[in-house]
This record gives sequence, structure tokens and C-alpha cells, in this order.
Amino acid sequence: MTNARAAVRTVEALREALGADNVLTGAGAAAYRVAGAEPTAAVVPRDEADISRTLALAFRDGLGVIPWGGGAHQSLGRPPSRYDVTLDLARLNRVVAYEPADMTATVQAGIRLTDLQQRLGAADQFWPLDPPLADRATVGGIVAASLAGPLRCRYGSVRDLVLGVRMAHADGTVTTAGSRVVKNATAYDLTKLYTGSYGTLGVLLETTLRLQPRPAVERGWLLRGTTIEQCHEAATRILGSHLAPNRVELLDEACAGVCGISEAGSALVVSFAGVGEAVQDQGESAGTLAGEHGLRAAEVKNSADMWRALQDWPWPAHGWASSAVSVLWRGSVLPSDAGKAMHAVRDATSGHGDVAIAATASHGVLRGALRASTGDLAARGVAAAREALTSLGGFLVVMEAPKALRATLDVWGPMPAEVKWMREIRAAFDPKGILNPGRFIDAI
Amino acid sequence: MTPAARDRLAQALREIVGHDGVIFSPDELRVYECDALTTHHRAMPDLVVLPDSTDQVAGVVRRCAKEDIPIVPRGAGTGLSGGAIPVQGGVLIVLTRMDRILDIDVANRTATVEAGCVNLAINRAVMPRGFFFAPDPASQQASTIGGNVAENAGGPHCLKYGATTNHVVAARVVLPDGEIAAFGCRLADRPGYDLMGVFVGSEGTLGICTEVTVRLLPLPQAVKTILAVFRTIDDASNAVSAIIARGIVPVALEMIDQETTRAVEAYAKAGYPLDAGAVLLIELEGLQTEIAMEAVEVEAACRAHACLDFKVARSEAERTLLWKGRKSAAGAFGRMTRNYYHQDAVVPRTKLAAVLREIAAIGEAYGVRVPNVFHAGDGNIHPLLCYDARVPGQFERAMAAGDEIMRCCIRAGGTVSGEHGIGIEKRDYLRLMYSDEDLATMRRIQQVLDPRGRCNPGKIFPETGHAEVRA
Repeated sequence: MTNARAAVRTVEALREALGADNVLTGAGAAAYRVAGAEPTAAVVPRDEADISRTLALAFRDGLGVIPWGGGAHQSLGRPPSRYDVTLDLARLNRVVAYEPADMTATVQAGIRLTDLQQRLGAADQFWPLDPPLADRATVGGIVAASLAGPLRCRYGSVRDLVLGVRMAHADGTVTTAGSRVVKNATAYDLTKLYTGSYGTLGVLLETTLRLQPRPAVERGWLLRGTTIEQCHEAATRILGSHLAPNRVELLDEACAGVCGISEAGSALVVSFAGVGEAVQDQGESAGTLAGEHGLRAAEVKNSADMWRALQDWPWPAHGWASSAVSVLWRGSVLPSDAGKAMHAVRDATSGHGDVAIAATASHGVLRGALRASTGDLAARGVAAAREALTSLGGFLVVMEAPKALRATLDVWGPMPAEVKWMREIRAAFDPKGILNPGRFIDAI
Repeated sequence: MTPAARDRLAQALREIVGHDGVIFSPDELRVYECDALTTHHRAMPDLVVLPDSTDQVAGVVRRCAKEDIPIVPRGAGTGLSGGAIPVQGGVLIVLTRMDRILDIDVANRTATVEAGCVNLAINRAVMPRGFFFAPDPASQQASTIGGNVAENAGGPHCLKYGATTNHVVAARVVLPDGEIAAFGCRLADRPGYDLMGVFVGSEGTLGICTEVTVRLLPLPQAVKTILAVFRTIDDASNAVSAIIARGIVPVALEMIDQETTRAVEAYAKAGYPLDAGAVLLIELEGLQTEIAMEAVEVEAACRAHACLDFKVARSEAERTLLWKGRKSAAGAFGRMTRNYYHQDAVVPRTKLAAVLREIAAIGEAYGVRVPNVFHAGDGNIHPLLCYDARVPGQFERAMAAGDEIMRCCIRAGGTVSGEHGIGIEKRDYLRLMYSDEDLATMRRIQQVLDPRGRCNPGKIFPETGHAEVRA
């Protein structure tokens, strides 16, 4: 943190550059707390020029800047090593260009996902992503953290659904990368580099999205089994068949219980979307395939609630863990190891606490909660879970933990040798390290 | 390079790749003076090497780095933007000997192959197991996966499935200093910057990939191929938008104009009508029930735009024949015109009709025939500028018309390449799309991975930019 005099200077400079109304301090700035740290000032820019001005000033003085969308996912990452200014993109919330027949939309980064989907829905289209905590999430935040949900099974991840960007760099310079059309092979695709960079390479201003037709119907089926391995086998069968599922989620008993999906045993939930008859056929075929692995199939009425809970998972586990210390995490293994990994994490953590896990079977992505009676046990549980996933060739990332515990946890886990290039890229893009300092991998 | 230095280098490289792995004689080197871009510039490499392993590639690269000699990777040489032309000489590293399929992992739906593996060879290996690799550039019978990665190759089926970048998950890369790195990962969402994503489409300027792990998709249950015939290009273009507006995303949606259908019929007899202004070749893939319903929608969209005939292939033989017409367009053009220049650009789908009208007018103004056969579904056009190199002035007129077409596509909100890449062909057009700051930002990646600008120099970025990096 800057000392008091420096803080006053920062606020004065920002007010002069942007107008006093657009610079919040005191209680206004306190609302932008990240991992317990409060900024000296929170800036709510009116336009791109305001953002450039703010960054140029911060760059000159070496201030730590945290870009802010809806604040939905600010729990991700390590605590900031320095936090002076919040850049709240709430006012950059316009749809810049939308032509339904092009199936692309260019939007400002601060637009809320729900507002965007509503706008696209009028033309029966959508941006096919279902990240957790979507009510508050903005497009900029989703791209920065590369947040996908169960729908990735059919539509791919954020990197497949972003075509171009406008970025404000650490010194305030604005550049474009990618394009506004669905196909592009012109020079380096920096759009990919920015996606999932957690705001460490620049502040996303505007992005062009690849859209999809919104299916007329989506129906869900619950396939119940005894063991997670059994459910995983059935998932693998479905994914290797000609069926085109929208979502294929593996749930352990605890997760299925917390989400109110089933009371005993492990579960596989699948959905199909499209035109009525084809959806019905696929649901029945999936039930038959799963039946061959001993699973019992039933259609889920009002499956929207179920998908909502699984989209947000593991956040709904907060209630389940209310009287204990809880840590939310994600991890990845090869899809063929997803069932094994869920089992391994449960076994590895059993002496320390309980876990509740869902996994996107198509991608081997696990999302879990761990609850333990003390912080110490929780820390040991996280280490054991990480060890279990690492021994399967995977990794674990901590997404949320109580403040005291968080400082002691290794949020991102060990990095591969290639991190040295990432470090150099970060230095080339943000030589003073002012953007989200200390929060990303390797304390970048 | 002096003859003595060249001899010394050849000897050193023979120690790495073996005696038969170095091409030295001028006659044999001439084969490598250009790729499939023959209209712009040719340049002889000092030497060609044919490594057989990642270690050999790394050895060659290290040796060249030591002497500051430019290196240029090359696959099958089918690239259309000159990416494999050694404009500053140096050592051409040809990866065609590295064509092994290393692993097919059905459970995780990936295949790992060496960079010299031919695109179609991947499909031959995985199709019997019920899977396919989606990118299908027209060159797929010859082009290598390494080249596909370098250029971010596309193809007709990109409309639904996306281009190479959407189907590559990891690669082994020999960096410009000879270090071997692993870009990307078979695990989803590994934290860190997406180096794999930047590498795809970097045209050999950031290193040489030697192994690639690609994503496989399960084969669809059913396929339906349709030929829709229109009186005018306008009608066909509007039908394209109408199909998409109905919420249908075919796997392929190709437009073939009248000049092309005539050339193709004379050559391949695919059953295309000769009197139509344009035809659409439409392919639907998926579940039987699903595509049956989609076909009804597609027909309605076409009929609403004065479709003259709507023909669904009833057998695999009919389907193959319809595609044969599309795929033999290049061969047919070869018989129709003495020379041609094959362009590549993308415009928003909704601007297709207007852009195609403008291209016709440009062709007329310059006295250049411009047949067009292209991926209409994603607005990826391929105007073919016909000329006769023996007639003075024709080549220049064709190039000038091509230049106008590029500018027209940018004005429409498009891009100067959809799938062929920039290479040496389009370096000067990049400035129509990107500012100096945009390009300088991209070059930060090059400065990190290839600070001395030795890896495929003279490609992608406009001339002046490169001098800055080398300084």
C-alpha cells in the first residue's frame, strides 16, 4: 500500500484526469475489496479514453490496478501484492455491433452476461457459455478468467468463442487483435493469449464473440449408479457415440445431494438440445447406453434448476459447509481419468474433511468443495487432493478459501518449465507489473 | 554465404541428420525456391535438411543459431502465401520425413502425430475407429499437420467445427535457439498464458513444431449433401444468410459461381447445371432425425430466395460426385486459364452479396476474369484472378485487381486472410487491418521467443518492422 501522502496524490491526480464524480474513495472504494485489501480509489470510467488516462497515470506512478467487471469472481487468484486503483468497467456495457445473420456480436467488456443473453435471445441466439455465478459476471471477466461451465461439452471453451479484442495495455495504449469475422488467419492471434490471462496483459475493452443458435428445447436425464467409476464408464460410452450431448456431468453422492438431484449413490446427468424429436431420441439412446453399465435412467422434470446448481457448482456447497472451513477448488485430469480422479480425491482427503465434486466428463474438469473442521485440516486436505490429482498427471487450483487460510495456500500449484516464457511475456506487456500484480501464476 | 562456409555447414549438418538428410546441389535446391505461391517471389535456400526426429531438428536449429543463419520450416510446400519461401536464404528444414502417427487415444479423443504427417493420413488412421480430425484444407491429401498449424489452415468444414486452432491442444516445439518446449497441454484449463494459441498461425516465425496433439471428434451418424441452384449470385448469397438466420449451422456451405461450374463440368462432370448463376453445396451432419428436419429448413430458406433446383444426394456415390466438383475446381481452372492467382479473404456473411458484386465490377474494370468458388457460410471468399503471363500487362492488371479486392473486403469489415495466412504475399495488407501499435504488440511475442529474428525471417510483418527487431 502507498503511504497516506502518496494516496492523496493519487486520488487528486485521478480526480483531475477523470472528474471527481468518477473517482470513488472511502466507503465507495471499500466495496471493491479483494482478499481483504482495499484500493485507495475506485475509478468508474465513462469510456475508453478514461481507461487509457487512468492506466497511463497508474503506469507512471507504478500503482497496482485491478480491473473489475461484476466482481463475481474476484476470489480467484492469489491476494494482490499491491492494490491502489480499481478500474470498474460497469459503464462500458454497450452492444457495439450485432448482426444476427453473421452470428457475431461486438460488445464492450463491462456488459453483464445476462443482459447480453437477453439481447441475443431476441434473435434466438446466444453466447454458449454458462460460467458459475453468471448473474453478476461480465463478458470481460469471463474472457479474462476463461470461465466455462458444463455447456463446454458441446460448444467448447471461451477461447473457441472469442474472435477479436480491443485491449488497453498497462501504459494506456489501445490495440486490436483478431477480427470481427468468424474466420481469420492474419498474424499472431493475441486473442488467445489474452483469454485466460487474468487481466495481467491488459484491460479488455471490447470483444467480438462467436454466437450460436439457441436450441428450441433442452431436456435433462438423470442416470443413477452406485459408484462414480460406473457412471464414468457410461459417460465415456455416450461421449464416444454419435450422440451430441449438451452437458455430461459426473456427480459424487455429496454433490448430487447438495444440489437436490439425488439422495444416494453417484450420478451422471446429461442433456440434449435441439429440435424436439431428435432430443427425445438422444435421451432414450443415452438411457439405453447407460443401462448397459447398470445405471437407471429417468428424465428430470424442470431440469433448469438442476443445471443452474451445476453451473454455479462448487459455490452452492457454501451452505453444506457453513459450519466448517471450506475451500472451493477446480482441477483437471485427462477425461479418461475423471472417475478415478474423483475417487482418488475423496480417498486422499478422507482423514482431513469431506469433499463434494462435480466433473465435466468430456473435458476431465473437476469442480469441488472441501470442508474441514479447522483451517489446518483444510490446508492438509487441499495438499492431499492436489497430490491425488498430480499423481494422475493432473493439477488443482484453489478458487476460494477463507482469508486467513488463503495466505498459506498455494493457489495455482506448481508450474511447468514453460512458465519462464510466460514471465517474459508478462514483462514485455506490463514492464512495471501494475495489472493485477501478484495474483496470477508464479506471482506474475 | 560463401561456398566454403556452405560446405562447412553442410558437413556439420550431415553429422546431425545423416548424409542423405542434406540437400546440397543447386538442381535439387531449385525445387525449394517457392511453395504454392508462385506469383510473388522466389528464393533459393543455401541448404535443405530433412531431419527425422525432434532431436535432429533441435540439433540443426542450434547449429544455425550458433552461426546466426536464418532457418525456414517447410512441410509439403502447399502453402498459398509464400510462408515456406526462404527469402533471406539460410537453411530450409523440411519435415516430411517426420510423418509418424505416435498415439491415438480414443478414450481422450486425441491423436499425437509428427509434424510431417499428412492431414488426410490422420483421418485414414482414426476413421476406422469412429473418429475424425475436422480441419480439411483443400490441400489435405498433401499438406502436413505442421503446415496446417503454422498457417491455421481451414477448409469447408470449418463452418461448424472451426479452424486448426480449435483442434490443436498441444505441440512439441523447437524454439529458435534450439531449446525444446512443450506448448499447450492435453489437460483443460491449465493456468497460464495460451502459448499454443499464439503459436498456431504464427507461420514458422516462433519456432518449429515437431509433434502435434490434435482433438478428434466422433464420426456423425448421418450426412446429407445438397446442391441448390440459383439464377444469380445475389440470390445464392441471400440464401446463405437465410439458412443461418433459421438457426441452422451446416458443416459446409460452399458457393460455386457460373464460370467455375462450367469449368468444373468440362473437367469433372459433377452434375452441376451450366446455366445457373451460382450453386450452393450444402452439407448437414449429425443425427438422422436432426438433419432430416434441418434439410426441410434449408430447403425453405433456399426456395424463399428463388432457388431453381434443390437436389439431395441419394447415395454415397452421388455425394462424392457433388464434392468432386468442388474439390476439382483448382484443377479445372488450370485448364481454363494459363495462370491464376488464388486469393483469400473473409467478409461478414451479410456483406457477401454486395462484396461479390463489387468484385465482379473490379474484374470488369481491370479486364480480369475473376471466377469464385468459396466457403460462403463463413464469408471466406477465394477470388481467382486469371491471366496469361505471356501477354504483357496481364499479370500486373491481375495483381492490381487483387489489391482492390483486398481493400474492398476490409472496407466491408473483413480480414485479408481466412486460412492461407500472410507469408510474404500479404505483408503489406496487414496495415489495412492493424495499426503500427497492434503489430508492435504482436511482435513482443516474437521478441521473447526469437529476439534475433532468425526464424523464418521476412514473413508476416511489413518490411520496416523487421529491421526494428533486428537492430
